[in-house]
Order: sequence, then C-alpha cells, then structure tokens
Amino acid sequence: MKARKFPLVYPSASFAGLLFVLAAMWYAASSQNSPAVYLLLFTLTAVFLVSIPHTLINLAGVTIALESVKPAFAGQEVSLPVEVTNGSRATRHGIELALSGSSRERKRIDCIPGGKAARVTLRFPARQRGEHRVAALRLTSVYPLGFIRFLKKFASSQTYIVYPKPAGDLPLPLSRAPSPHSRSRADFGEGDDFAGVRDYVPGESQRHIDWKAVARGQPLMTKQFAAETEGVADLDFSAVGLATVEEKLSQLALWVIEAERAGQPYGLWLPSTEIPPAVGQSHFHQCLRALSLFQG
Amino acid sequence: MSRSTSRSNRDRRIPRRPLLWLAAALLFTLPPMFASLATWVPCLFLLALALKFWMEPRGYRLRFAALKLVLAAVALFAIFASYGSLHGVEQGVSLLVVLMSLKILEAHTAREFQVMVMIGWVLCLCGFFLSQDFAIALCLLIGFALLLVALVQFHRGSSPGAFWPPLGTTGKLLAQAAPLAALLFVLFPRINSSFGFQIRDLRSASLGFSDRLSPGSITSLTDSSTVAFRAEFPDDRTRPRGPMYWRGIVMWHCEGMEWRAPYAPVAISPGSLKPSAPGPHTAGELGRALPAESTSGRAIRQRINIAPHDARWMFALDRPFEVPPRAMLARGNYLWSAQPIRKARRYEVTSSPQVTERELEPLDRREALDVPASISPAVRELAQSWSAQNSNPRAIVNSALQFFRAQGFRYSLSPGEYGKNDLEAFLFHRRVGFCEHYAASFATLMRLAGVPARVVVGYLGGEYNDLGGFVLVRQSDAHAWCEVWLADSGWTRVDPTTVVAPGRASLDLDSFLARNAATGELNTRQNAFVAQLFRSAIFTNVRLAWETLSYEWDTRLLGFDADVQEVFLDSIGIANRGPFFLVVEIVIVAVALLLAYTGWMQLRTRSRRDRARGLYDRFCRKIARLGVRRDPWEGPSDFSRRAAQSLPDEAERIREISNIYIALRYAPESTTILLDRFAKDVSAFPSHSR
Repeated sequence: MKARKFPLVYPSASFAGLLFVLAAMWYAASSQNSPAVYLLLFTLTAVFLVSIPHTLINLAGVTIALESVKPAFAGQEVSLPVEVTNGSRATRHGIELALSGSSRERKRIDCIPGGKAARVTLRFPARQRGEHRVAALRLTSVYPLGFIRFLKKFASSQTYIVYPKPAGDLPLPLSRAPSPHSRSRADFGEGDDFAGVRDYVPGESQRHIDWKAVARGQPLMTKQFAAETEGVADLDFSAVGLATVEEKLSQLALWVIEAERAGQPYGLWLPSTEIPPAVGQSHFHQCLRALSLFQG
Repeated sequence: MSRSTSRSNRDRRIPRRPLLWLAAALLFTLPPMFASLATWVPCLFLLALALKFWMEPRGYRLRFAALKLVLAAVALFAIFASYGSLHGVEQGVSLLVVLMSLKILEAHTAREFQVMVMIGWVLCLCGFFLSQDFAIALCLLIGFALLLVALVQFHRGSSPGAFWPPLGTTGKLLAQAAPLAALLFVLFPRINSSFGFQIRDLRSASLGFSDRLSPGSITSLTDSSTVAFRAEFPDDRTRPRGPMYWRGIVMWHCEGMEWRAPYAPVAISPGSLKPSAPGPHTAGELGRALPAESTSGRAIRQRINIAPHDARWMFALDRPFEVPPRAMLARGNYLWSAQPIRKARRYEVTSSPQVTERELEPLDRREALDVPASISPAVRELAQSWSAQNSNPRAIVNSALQFFRAQGFRYSLSPGEYGKNDLEAFLFHRRVGFCEHYAASFATLMRLAGVPARVVVGYLGGEYNDLGGFVLVRQSDAHAWCEVWLADSGWTRVDPTTVVAPGRASLDLDSFLARNAATGELNTRQNAFVAQLFRSAIFTNVRLAWETLSYEWDTRLLGFDADVQEVFLDSIGIANRGPFFLVVEIVIVAVALLLAYTGWMQLRTRSRRDRARGLYDRFCRKIARLGVRRDPWEGPSDFSRRAAQSLPDEAERIREISNIYIALRYAPESTTILLDRFAKDVSAFPSHSR
C-alpha cells in the first residue's frame, strides 16, 4: 500500500511535560543568570530538536501490505492481518499500527531489522453486515524520545465481508423430500448414532478422530454419526415469519450455521439469489455472503 | 526476528531494562543532594529505588490515594522538622525528591515512565541550584544523559540489545545535538526573567559574610565556590597589578574576638575624600604588611556585577570615592545600597588606592578606640607594653606585626573553635587562626594600645577570566583585614594575615592552600604510601587534567553568563542586531541543520535497489497508467498474463519484458547485455495508450 503523503507530525502526550520542564529550566536559568542551567536547557532543547528527524526517518521505507481478511459475523471481531515491511537498511524501532477512526487498538512492533517484515493482526468489531472497505491504516512512531509522533496514513482499497449476526429462535425448516444432489453426504451428518468411520480430512474438527484407532497404529479416521433426521433445509427468505429484513437475515444466518453444523444439506432462496441445496465450507460461505450482501 | 507486543501503549507496564537505566541516571543526581540536603532525603530516595526493584516483579505498587496523601503529608512535616521552615531552595528540592520517591513507588504505566524521566531532568536542574562545582556538574550531566538512554531504551521495547544499542542511539543524538546546543548557548539571547521576584536562592541564606565578624565566620566560606561578584575594568580592560582588596563593610564595634558593623551606617559625602599621591608610609616595616599598588594614586573605574546576597553592602576596590546611583558612601568608606540586593545588579564605581581623610572626628576617634571591659589583663598588658616602648602609632603597629611574626602563629583553614572572649587563648596559647582571627585580634590590640583601629571585611584577590576580561570573585575569596588611623596618612590598611602567611595576598586562597599542601602538609600528615601516590606522575597528571577541566568549566562555561555573552556578541559584531533577528537567524540555522541530518540519515538508510528491479518498477508504473495495476502479491508472470489479457495491443511486449525480467531474476548470472536490452525495452514501452 502506498502512503498518502508526507508523514504528518504532531506532539505526543508527553510533549506538554517536556515544554513544562524546558520552561522551568528557562525560568531558572534566566532569573539566576546561570550558565550551567542554560547549558542543561539548550542541550535538552537541541536533543529534542534532533530527535525529530530521527523519528521521521524511523518511518522512512516502512510500508504495509494487507493480507486477505476473513469474514466475520456482525457483533464479533474482524481480524486484519497486516504485514509491515521495512524496506530500508536500518533497523526500525517502536512502530505502531492502528486503524484510523478507532484509536482504541494500537499494535506496537518493537523492532524490524532492515529488509525484514513483521506481521501483526489488528482486531476491530464488526458492526454491520455487508461489504466494507478497510479503513485507512495509521503507521506511527515516537521513537526515540517519545515527544513527537510522526504519522503515515495508508489508504486501502481492500474490502471485508461482515455476515449478518446469527440470531432468532425459529426452528430449522426441513422438507422431508431429500434432494438427490446431497444424498451421499447427508447420510453421514453429525448425529447421535455412531455410523462408522471414514478418512480424516485435514482441517476437520479433531474431536471426532478415532484416537483409539490411532493408538493402534492405524491412520487418522473420523468417526461418523448418523443424524436423526434426514432431509433438506429450505431456507427461504420470503417464508421466514419475521417482521424486518434484518431479523429475517439473522434467522437465515443462524439456520445456515445450524444446518452446516448438523451436516444437513440446505439451500437458500433470496429474492435476488438462489443457491441450490448442498453442504460444506464453500457452500456455507457462499450462503452467508449472499445474506450479507442482500439488498433489501 | 521482529517483535511485537499486543498491549496498547496506555496500559503497557514499565519493563525492567529502562527502569534500570532510570535508576542509574537518578543515582547520578544524588551527590549534590547528599552534600546539601538533610541526609534522610536522598536516603529515602535510594530506599524508594531499591524498593521499586523488589516490588516491580511482584506487581506491587503504592496504590491508595489516601495512603499517598498521608505519606506526602508526613514528608512535608519531616522536611519542616529538619529545616525549621518550608521556605527555601533546600526545602523545595527536598520536597521534590520526596515526591519523586513516591512517584517511583507508584508509577507502573508507560506514560508515568515519561513523567519520571522528566522529573529526573528537574532533579538535575535542582542539583545545579545546590552546587555548580565541576565534579557535581559532571555527575548531573551524566545523569541527564542517562535519562535520555532510559527514554530510548523504553521506546525500544523488547528490541535486542539492552546496553550498547540504546547508549549508541543516545550518543548519536547527543553528538548531533552538540552543535545546535553550542549555537543556542552562545547566541541565544538571555533575557532576565525574574518578573519582579526572585527565587530565594542559597546565596542569600547561607552564603556570603554577615555584618558580624566572629571566629569561623569567614573560614566557613572557604569551600564555597559561589560567585560573589564580577568586576570589569572598562578603562584599560586589564586588572590592576598587586593584590586586589575588595572593600565590603567596615566594622567599628569591638567585642574582643568578635566585631560588628553598625546596623544603619551613617552617610558621608564623597566630597570629603579625594585621591592622593602615595604617602611616605609605604616604606619600612609597615610597607610590607601594606603592599604598595603599582596603580597607586590612579583612579580605577570598575563595572561590577554583584550576585544577590540579601544584604545592602556593595563591593569596590579599596577604596571607593565615587558612588553609583541608588547607593551611598557610608562612614568608613564603603558602599551601602539603598535597598537589600535581592537580584543581580550592575553598577559602576571608581576607586583609588589612596584616599586621604582630612582628620578623624573626635566622635569617630572615641569609637575607634572603644574596647569591651571583658578583655583579660594579660592582653591589655601586652598592648600597653608596646605603647610604653614607643608611643608613635607606626611603631606600635610594627611591634604588633613583629609579635605575630615571631611568636609562632600559624595560618590554618581549621583553626578550631574560638569564642568571642578567647582572645587570650588565641594570642598566648593556641596561636592558630584564619584571617578573621588575625584581623579581629590585631584591631583589638591596636585599640588597647591607643591606636584607632577598625576591621574591614571584603574579598581579597579573585580569578581573572581571559575570555570575558573580568575578575571573578567567589565567596571563598572572603577576607578580613584592619585599618589603623595614622596622623600622616589617615586610615591605613594593615593586613596582619600577610605577616603570618606572606603569600596569601598575592594569590587567591585556593592556589595558596594548594601550594602549601604540596610542600608541607602532605609529607607530614599522610603516610608514605599516600605521599608517594600523590607524587606519582600518573596521579599528578590526572589531578592536573582534572583541575584544568574544572577550571575550564568554572571560567569558560560558568563564566559565560548574560554579561559575558553581551560582550562576546559585541566583539563578533552581532549584538546590535536585536534579539529578534538573532532568534530568527538561530531558527534558520537550526532548521537547515535538522534538514541536513534528515537528508543524511535518509541516504544512509535507504535500501539499494538493483537496476533490474528499478526498471521493472518503471515498467509497472507505465502499465498502471494504461489501467492495469499490479497487486503487491502478484508475481511477474501472473501479472504479465493478466496485463496481456487486458491490453491485447501491447500483449507481445508485455510478455517479452516480463520474460526478460524473470530471466534476469532467476538466471544463474545476470548478463549486462540482457539488462541493457531490458532497459531499452522498458524505455520503449508506451506510457499512454495510443
């Protein structure tokens, strides 16, 4: 990402304290006509002034790159992984990263050697469903003395998706006619009755791995439990018996999660979009994405 | 390699390493405190530092506001109890030290660390109020620099390296700041800011002599290097040769070993005095106790900057006869200010070594012969034996001086305790004294022998400052001598100290004592090993170097005050520009310096890009202008595929350029021919759509 312009400079909180100390020294020196105190005063002033270019240079060559942002549900936190690269030859110290607007979270990187990069994750609350643009990132530094803060703003064109907040208490609507597409998967959902084992797929929950079999020296296998009920969940926007659009979307989101967790095939019918019944991670995210981008 | 912390700046705890640096820095601010404050104050400070290191890993800290208030109140009471008042520099500094101790125990967040560092700087400032001695100043400046190190270490966080890297950064900062600091120190206008009131400083309370000369009152000043005043000689800009007796106050009232000045001196008109040619009295025995001045008879104009001493006497070379404004000439030929001198003051005065009085008024004569009844018979007998021998006052003076010379009197900085009635003990038994003992006893003896006498207290000598062209007189130069009335020459100075310690008058006290120590005392007092050590070449060289540095500090740095600055600016011809232009010029120079530093650091740390990468970036910029922007994560081949798709017209060139770039990147060795071709292709690539 490119910085917007020349770094901005503004005094940090302790600058007032420094001014006070300098004023005290000046008063003492001039009222007593004391060269020793003048020496102290002017040395401190000069060190402070010289520290300003040091702080400015501390940001030179430092750039940031956003990595892709994972979607989050409204009301949860969005994690924004950022790579901070030091393109200069010198080590940079005390680099702080924050999102503009929310000064609450400020991530600090103590040290990035020349030519190296550091990765930090910024977290901020996901408020509204939909697609949002990542706010401008503020790269600041007060190193070495902490009296002056330099700020580099990085505009970003990256977006992230916030899914509707899953909520509602309506039961999952099930149609008894199972869809032929998802037949094979629906047989082995997550239920209560043990139904056999199958190969473990990396990324699956480790809770259902047949550890006893592993102990016997067999490969990783996942225990399967048959779902009590079988069928397809028809998640139809127009059929949700709730008043507002947001409530409906929340209910639909909850259902999607429930159905996915139960391993039950589910399809989503929105006024603008239709997603045929299926199950699995990509289907899950496709449905939630459709819900989040829904334009009432 | 890179380290990051997830906690935000505000609730970050103070890590151990900067705290260690802070503690080291604060230790360096302690020496002046131990020297000047009640001992428990710096001890409390040390205790707080030690406690902090015990508490910090355990997560303890001083928490409750009520407890803090109670502790602060107890401290305030303790300060009051040890000093008897809450008003004054020592009390103020003590309070600050105590509050700093509490702050150390209380602080636990990042922000408070900055506050502690700044309080540390204020403690350095306070240290300079307590003492400006070179050794102390060195400590304070080291403490000041270590506070910077602590701050740098604090902002480095957990970066690797806890000792040399922060020291190096601080060193670089200080080195770069040095020219700027020097510029500011020399050129920045120094405005007197004592807006009508003056911080009551140490000088007035505990330094300088008083209107009472008692045994030990001048001895106590000998280790005070505080400046009493500075004197310039505007007429010839050189100091007069010979000893410089600076007249301060004349004491008329005798109480044996103790003398007192009148509370409210009587004014005399300057017209009653006039400078005269040297009289006949400079020859003979008296002449040696009263060294002739080569400037005799000539009026010496002086411009004097007097430091505040809270009393009303003012100083001038012996003896003033033209009075500055807001002052009068008191009976006894000394200057008396209209108001107590509470802030630095500058005045001009003219003196002449010889001033003749017409005659001694009967009232004055009576007062100048008055002695207390408590003088012991043995002392009276001694004095009367001289007047019985020869009634000529001049002969009596010589007898007395002969007595001091022949009877084994010693001149010492530590003469022991004398009371005001110990005249007999001093004259016949102990025979060890400092200048006030000799002046007081001599004047008393003169009065007993019938010669009108008085005691003069002032300063003797002073240090000539080559840089500023002035004489600097310190409290340690304080001196007391006598004046006797002789019919032919009027009031005549007799300095009995010079009889006992002949070198004293021509040197300032420090050099005199140093010379004495080198020849006599060391051999006898110290054991052989120490004596050898003192005489060894290395020690001598170190001592000489230290003394030179100390001297440079005292004269060049401490001497460079507002007045010297004025003279200096005048001499380089920029004084008449006015402070505003001076400040503007300083700002311009400072900004230029800072820009130069920025550019230099930028050049030094910028990464060296290779040529191929630079050319490829240029190519990417050109394509971006055509509408296809390369994403940061996109490799050259992916990008070339995408760009070729979007820009079918340039597809061939895009592919070619990208292939050459990849070849340059991944080829086992890059060839210049390929690179040149690459450069040509990139330059030929259109930067706007055709």
